[in-house]
Amino acid sequence: MFNLLGRNEISDIHVASMEVLEQVGVMIQHDEALRILGDAGAVVDDKTKVVKIPEHLLQEALQKAPGRHLMASRDPKHNFVIGDGASYYTNAFGAHYTLDLETGERRLSTVKDLEEFTLLADFYPTVDYIKPHILPQDVSKSIWEQEMALAMFRNAEKHLSLVALTPQGWRDVIKMSMIAAGGEEEFIKNPSFIDTGFNNVPPLKYTPEIIDMILECAKYKIPFDISTGALASASSPVTLAGTIVQGIVENHAIVVLTQLVGPGTPIMWGSCATILDQRYGTAAYGSPENGLIHAAFAQMARFYGIPYYGAAGVIDSKIPDHQAVYENTINVLVATLAGADVVHDAVYGIVEAGVTASYELFGISNEICGAVKRIAKGMRVTKETLAADLIAAVGHEKNYLNTPEALKYTKKHLLEEQWQPVLTERASRPEWEKRGSKDMFQRAKEQVKEILSSHEVEPLDKDVEAAMRKIIDKRAKGK
Amino acid sequence: MTPSIFEELEIAVIEGDSEQCEELAKKSLDQKIPPLDAITNGLAKGVKSVGDKFSKGEVFLVELIMAGDAMKAGMSVLLPEIKASKAEMKTLGKVMLGTVDGDIHSIGKDIVATLLEAEGFEVINIGEDVSSEIFVEKVKEHSPDILGLSSLLTATMPAQKEVIEMLDKAGLKDKVKVIIGGAPTTNEWADEIGADGWAGDAVSAVELVKQLVGGN
Repeated sequence: MFNLLGRNEISDIHVASMEVLEQVGVMIQHDEALRILGDAGAVVDDKTKVVKIPEHLLQEALQKAPGRHLMASRDPKHNFVIGDGASYYTNAFGAHYTLDLETGERRLSTVKDLEEFTLLADFYPTVDYIKPHILPQDVSKSIWEQEMALAMFRNAEKHLSLVALTPQGWRDVIKMSMIAAGGEEEFIKNPSFIDTGFNNVPPLKYTPEIIDMILECAKYKIPFDISTGALASASSPVTLAGTIVQGIVENHAIVVLTQLVGPGTPIMWGSCATILDQRYGTAAYGSPENGLIHAAFAQMARFYGIPYYGAAGVIDSKIPDHQAVYENTINVLVATLAGADVVHDAVYGIVEAGVTASYELFGISNEICGAVKRIAKGMRVTKETLAADLIAAVGHEKNYLNTPEALKYTKKHLLEEQWQPVLTERASRPEWEKRGSKDMFQRAKEQVKEILSSHEVEPLDKDVEAAMRKIIDKRAKGK
Repeated sequence: MTPSIFEELEIAVIEGDSEQCEELAKKSLDQKIPPLDAITNGLAKGVKSVGDKFSKGEVFLVELIMAGDAMKAGMSVLLPEIKASKAEMKTLGKVMLGTVDGDIHSIGKDIVATLLEAEGFEVINIGEDVSSEIFVEKVKEHSPDILGLSSLLTATMPAQKEVIEMLDKAGLKDKVKVIIGGAPTTNEWADEIGADGWAGDAVSAVELVKQLVGGN
């Protein structure tokens, strides 16, 4: 619906990116990866660990990288295909703090918060698949990723994107996912039962740990997003176009490496890039420039035939207030209209850019995302929906509430045509007053409590859970 | 009235003009102005004014960094003269900064370094991916008042703890105050690992350092 770049601009961006990929290259601090790239024909400097990648290697890799792929879930009714033209949404990632649902106090996040946010994400219809909303602070770091994976499996039937922080933890999570998927054989047949994501260190660098975990994904063909973390004017050029060029190069290096190691591994080509606010030295995610960055990347991803995964909708505001709501809205809307295949961080139940979770905001953002999805669905224009016959039948004297033919027509098309909000107040003023004159924040709080007390997911099989727990216990004992 | 050389130095720093700072510094030496005066009444004044404005959100980071670079360009001319004359540079204190083992992020730490320099601290920036052993060695070598440990990755936070443990073992924990920072870190984490302080952004990091040095 929204094309930011013209054809010539797409071509100029591509040419500049190839120049950087071939002549400047990317630093990859991983000898095995460098060897693989070198053997394939890239120019590797063993001393600086910089690899310069010729365009033909990229083109071969893009041939192998799927343009779309299935994301599988515990309950297959939640399966979906990334790259099918729709924009799929995830919740937010990684809050260390939580605004307590009862007291409103800002406190450290817990496993219970992760469980509750996962359960809410399972319920909210705008969340198509689930990210670790919380990084719980009441768990030892040695079993962090593992405890998080189990908490999420226990509380959702939708597809899960699990966190990969350390090579050891990620290998444990893969083992646990194999158990949840019904065994190693089952998992290998369908590794898109889970996915994960990685960032680079801009400008143009990858650490050994990240590359190690990417190679592990490529080995099993586990889908993942590779997202440039460029900050315009700090770790990439201040110009948005320059930031796009750098991000393309950073992402493409991993497309090439992954398709050499595991041809056909689904990669989502992503961005959590944004601008640095030069007044405070902080990353500004809720900025309009963030939306433009996503719009440009979405178009470039389409040009390369690879799904785009944009972290759009992140909120910089410190509390769930007016700023929070506008920041979430503008960038989810822009990324969706630009055709992002995944809008990560769309349903953004977090404030302070990834730091502090807010239950109420999660409900409010679900409402915003519902409205944006309705806009993205567009307008159906067919002979039937143009309704010229009906307009003639109703004529000038009657209307659409007193003509049986029109009433039937309305009933038939209503749910397709009109989005039904849940938290939005559209009743009359007396009616709103009768219900307690509550603002949206209060309504969201009540909705969250209601969902938490009523939404249920199919419990994990006892043996499955016990086997997953065993992996965690073993690691906790340091074996 | 023509501006004094001090004013000229101050303006050159504010404008982030490194070449001009170098030239003016040379000119000040030619005029037999004591280099310490050129620093105190010229370069440092300029960088302090830009630093203050940055803390209030009135100038951009790019201007702060360029002012810092301009000051250093002027200092590079003046410092050898100060050393030769055996005069003593007065600073608010010595701060050592580094990003911990396994983490190669630099931007946040470098912003803190620039702001601290603007405030008048001597900053020793030992870079990124610094092993815990090197931190201990460098503390022994330079005896800083404050050691700042930066970590942007959740996975590298434990290295902050390790450095503090190793300083403790080496008997250095009482000799240096350790502060930590970086996106995933928290005040609670600082308490847990026995750090002397935590700051969530560059401006509060400077406040924290001032407070800790003042408490000495």
